[in-house]
Amino acid sequence: MSGTITGGWGFVWAAYGLTAFFLTAYAVSLFVRLRNERSR
Amino acid sequence: MTSNNHRFPRAPYALLTLGTILLLTGSYLGLFVAPPEHFMGDVQRIMYVHVPTAWNALLAMTFALFCAIAFLFRGGDFKWDARMEAAIEVGVLLAFLLCCQGAIWAKPTWGVWWDWDPRLTTTAVLLFAFIGILALRRFVDDPVRRGTWSAVATIIAYADVPIVYYSVTWWNSLHQLQSSPATVSKSFHLPLRMNAFAILFLMTGFIMLRARLASLRLEHELAPPPSHELDAVGELA
Repeated sequence: MSGTITGGWGFVWAAYGLTAFFLTAYAVSLFVRLRNERSR
Repeated sequence: MTSNNHRFPRAPYALLTLGTILLLTGSYLGLFVAPPEHFMGDVQRIMYVHVPTAWNALLAMTFALFCAIAFLFRGGDFKWDARMEAAIEVGVLLAFLLCCQGAIWAKPTWGVWWDWDPRLTTTAVLLFAFIGILALRRFVDDPVRRGTWSAVATIIAYADVPIVYYSVTWWNSLHQLQSSPATVSKSFHLPLRMNAFAILFLMTGFIMLRARLASLRLEHELAPPPSHELDAVGELA
């Protein structure tokens, strides 16, 4: 046990990927909802 | 409602574009250019997205509080109600991301995905409190009651925000102290600052667009029914 964490890139990619996914999904949902509301 | 709702200013789209470019650049620097941290190694790179998300989640909720107070003390101006709804929804999105990123960081550093630590618990309470306010808005049809009740609920729920922020200093928390450019190495500053501004721009753009959506919905809600519907009611009568 050296007290340091080795590796862990999978966790890093998971955090960034999840953030990118939800920010993109929210942006898409916002554009779709706005378009639908404008066309009412 | 004013005709402003029908204009499509470019500011939110410009903010979203700028935020995306900054986030991509800041993340590239954080992932590939900044050195790994001495103890946490590469896992520490999660900080470049986790900490800016935390700052901006609390900022969105602070803006929601400001809008709630403005709605209550400005004679129920629905412009503030729309902004409050927008800020709460974007705040919930960021708080949800914050909890997910935190869990992903917790696993390799603490050995568990979740712990009932004061910082994590108060953040979860904050997330669910604001989800509750969004749910409350769905159940109330009268716009005045909906605005008033959710403004009061927002003010009450906001009491948790300073508790979240200071939880790491008030209690013996597993979570580390607040990270800021003053508490981290200089080599980490640039990606941290870039992503903080990136998420700030994205958050502002989202809130502006979401407030416009809320205003449009309210406008449709308050509009008189179409004439053919009135005719049908007349025939029934």
